[in-house]
Amino acid sequence: MTAKAILTDTTRCTGCERCVAACKQTNALGPDRPGRWQIRIDDLSATRFTTIVRHDGRFVRQQCRHCAEPACVAACLVGAMQKTAEGPVIYDGDRCMGCRYCMVACPFEIPRYEWAASVPYVRKCSMCYTRLGEGRVPACVDACPEKATIFGDREALVAEGQRRIHEHPERYVNHVFGEHEVGGTSVLTISDIPLDFLGAGKGITGSSLPDLTWAALSKVPSLAFGVGGLMAGVFWITDRRMKLQAESAAHAQQTTTEPAAGDGTPGKTERER
Amino acid sequence: MSRRLDSVKTILWTIMGVLAVVTAARYVNGLGAVTNLSDAAPWGLWIAFDVMAGVALAAGGFTLAATVYIFGLTRYRPFVRPAILTAFLGYIAVAVGLLYDLGLPWHILHPLVYPQSHSVLFEVAMCVMLYLTVLALEFSPVILEHPWFDRPLFRAAHHVLKRATIPLVIAGIVLSTLHQSSLGSLFLIAPFRVHPLWYSPFIWILFLISAVGMGLMMVTLESYVSAWLFGHTLPSDRLAGLGRASSVVLLVYAGLRLGDLAWRDQIGLALRASPMAALFWFELAAGAIIPGLLLAVPAVRRHALGLGLISGMVVLGIIGYRFDVSIVAFSRPAGAGYFPSWVEFVVSAGIVAGALLVFIFFVEQLRVYPPEHADARPTGGAQRMDPHGMQPRLPRALAAPRRQSLAFVVGAAAAWAFLPGAAIFGAPSAPVPVTAARAIAGTVTQRGTGPGHAFTVVPTQASVPDPAAREWLLLIDGNRDGRLVVFPHDRHQGALGGTQSCAACHHANLPFGRGTACAACHRDMYSRADIFDHATHIERLGGNAGCVRCHADQEVAKTRATATSCTTCHAGMFVAGSRVRPTGTRDGHAAGYLDAMHRLCINCHSERMKTEPAKHPVDFAECRGCHRDADGRAIERLEPYATGVHPPSSVRLGR
Repeated sequence: MTAKAILTDTTRCTGCERCVAACKQTNALGPDRPGRWQIRIDDLSATRFTTIVRHDGRFVRQQCRHCAEPACVAACLVGAMQKTAEGPVIYDGDRCMGCRYCMVACPFEIPRYEWAASVPYVRKCSMCYTRLGEGRVPACVDACPEKATIFGDREALVAEGQRRIHEHPERYVNHVFGEHEVGGTSVLTISDIPLDFLGAGKGITGSSLPDLTWAALSKVPSLAFGVGGLMAGVFWITDRRMKLQAESAAHAQQTTTEPAAGDGTPGKTERER
Repeated sequence: MSRRLDSVKTILWTIMGVLAVVTAARYVNGLGAVTNLSDAAPWGLWIAFDVMAGVALAAGGFTLAATVYIFGLTRYRPFVRPAILTAFLGYIAVAVGLLYDLGLPWHILHPLVYPQSHSVLFEVAMCVMLYLTVLALEFSPVILEHPWFDRPLFRAAHHVLKRATIPLVIAGIVLSTLHQSSLGSLFLIAPFRVHPLWYSPFIWILFLISAVGMGLMMVTLESYVSAWLFGHTLPSDRLAGLGRASSVVLLVYAGLRLGDLAWRDQIGLALRASPMAALFWFELAAGAIIPGLLLAVPAVRRHALGLGLISGMVVLGIIGYRFDVSIVAFSRPAGAGYFPSWVEFVVSAGIVAGALLVFIFFVEQLRVYPPEHADARPTGGAQRMDPHGMQPRLPRALAAPRRQSLAFVVGAAAAWAFLPGAAIFGAPSAPVPVTAARAIAGTVTQRGTGPGHAFTVVPTQASVPDPAAREWLLLIDGNRDGRLVVFPHDRHQGALGGTQSCAACHHANLPFGRGTACAACHRDMYSRADIFDHATHIERLGGNAGCVRCHADQEVAKTRATATSCTTCHAGMFVAGSRVRPTGTRDGHAAGYLDAMHRLCINCHSERMKTEPAKHPVDFAECRGCHRDADGRAIERLEPYATGVHPPSSVRLGR
């Protein structure tokens, strides 16, 4: 199956929040109740998987970006986060330990936690993965009256975004947000303002995040064998030296009747510091 | 047993008492109720201290084992047993800390069931589990030496374990190298979130080498603590040797951190006058540079007090490094801070206290310190005369446990007394107080075309050319977040029947009230507000004699549930034909502002849209029909708002 994607055009969004309402209904999220653990009631939360961020007079829809190489999937030590072939990044609460490393790892600061629950889970947009399986489009896309957010094959939507920018260069920032960010995402946005206020600030680049940890993680086997071998080698040397010294000490004890300088342990070889 | 040891145990048991209560609160009500963690700060004190710093603090185990068994420096052998025990208890403390921090702690063994080998955290988890096993095997000979285990089977096990010492030590070193470094690698995946002064592709090397320095200094610090606690003599010359080794390790560590900064071309960032730069230098100077240089001086590292202070400094400095990477230098959205709650501090302290109590227990029961160390002072406590003489005295062996049990109970009671309400009753909704709608004179003009496009409010009287087009508008923005509904109050009043129509939308519950402002009672944006004023009712109903007016039944407890319903007296607050009706089931509570407003407006709008659709715009009964998102901040600055002109008498504002 080809990778699917969502393209949101902020210039078409009127901020009606029907996508938010449809998302809440589809995922049975219930009403928002403010908690100490969130900054604003209309921020993403365990009861709000998509929201409209109001910035500079624009309406910018925020949701999980469903990265091509997701940091959360690489971070999760039990595989509770999975990248599907269709594009969505989905979550399996039955595997989750609740370590929240996915929340730390996400460059867009998307995953939310059920802080008020005594049995808490990570909550985030799944791009309506079950609906996709039924051949339907995500609920938010279905609900949009302005066609500001559309669903389709990722390649086609990247081309569509570029086409709109090309047709109206005066209307858009010349950048399909999500085409290359952190190795590409399945949620694309075109806008008339820069979108670097989303996520972890202005630093987000095109490099894949899992590669950064893999650079260190791939060294683990060689590091293990290297350190193990080194330690065994050093032990062999010191052990042999101790045995030789013990032998020579015993030899000296036999030839002369003087007692050897030692406290019983054979290893009286420590260097004075 | 010394009196000092008794006092320390009493303090530790007090902390354990506090821990017992907060543990119950943690598991009953969840993380949100007892911690200050949030979506913006998913990792807090329990990760930074109990896991990140805890693992580093336990690095003395593999460091000393390597020194003695691999490098053959056998004069440090007396340090090995306490270091292994500290490491073993330290790693158990890490695991216990995780049981508090994990949202689903009963899934703690899931890495074994659902391994995901591309995760750094998976590698850490496996190494920690394996190393905990190795430490248990390394320490178990000490337990098996106890006379109780002097049986053939245990003697055989002891023999096998002794034979396996070297392979176990090498396995421990390998596992420690891997996970001490990988704790740093955890942060490699967040290049945009860890501050550039700390984010380095080589952070894993920095974590490893700082852990070695920390381990050596922690063993030193422990010697001081055990000398103080158990009355041991300080092995000064051996400690000086450890100090010399630490000096080298710490200076290499400091050099690598500065070299890394230069290589990444971020040295300028460290020289800028900023809080982060100050933190960087403070942590690096206290944890490595100053102690590294001081320990290079033989006179300093042979000075008993000097070495003790320096070891404490290094331990704090390197704990600081772990804190900086995992909390302080980790970016959060603007406005989202994090400082641990006292419950978080207590849990961390309680886990340390528990580990210390087990440590003391093992020292008392087993040969953790070599015999030449165990020149325990005669305490003489048991021989001391009881000043009161009259009271029957318990044997001293029982008096101490009795005092410690009391300390535990006192600690638990104190914790219960000071526990935040959230920790007992569950995490509440954060209060979002409502302010009354503001009135301005003006007119509404549509900006753009088509439904749903924003409206512009022209508030100044002068700028509206036609006086007839001027009307009083209410700007409804209960939580003052700038997203408001422009409510043409005059137009609604006119449509509903002029000045006689107030009760259609307003309660009439206050004396002489015709149109109490919504925000007077619906005081919280999202949560119910308690609007029952008990004191006023007592006063109006004749003081104590008035109790029976509401609490008619003398046999039951006087609670709100058993009292007479408010509507018995206040029937008049619900006018016939009014759209406002009590919908809640709890007497004396007003619904949240958002719910109250939505119910009032949406019900009427949808009814009218059904009965007479032709008379209204297409979006009359939709969200965007009212929520047109005029720019609240722009209005805030406009006159007459900014100058505070009073609203006219026809628009009464609450409170």
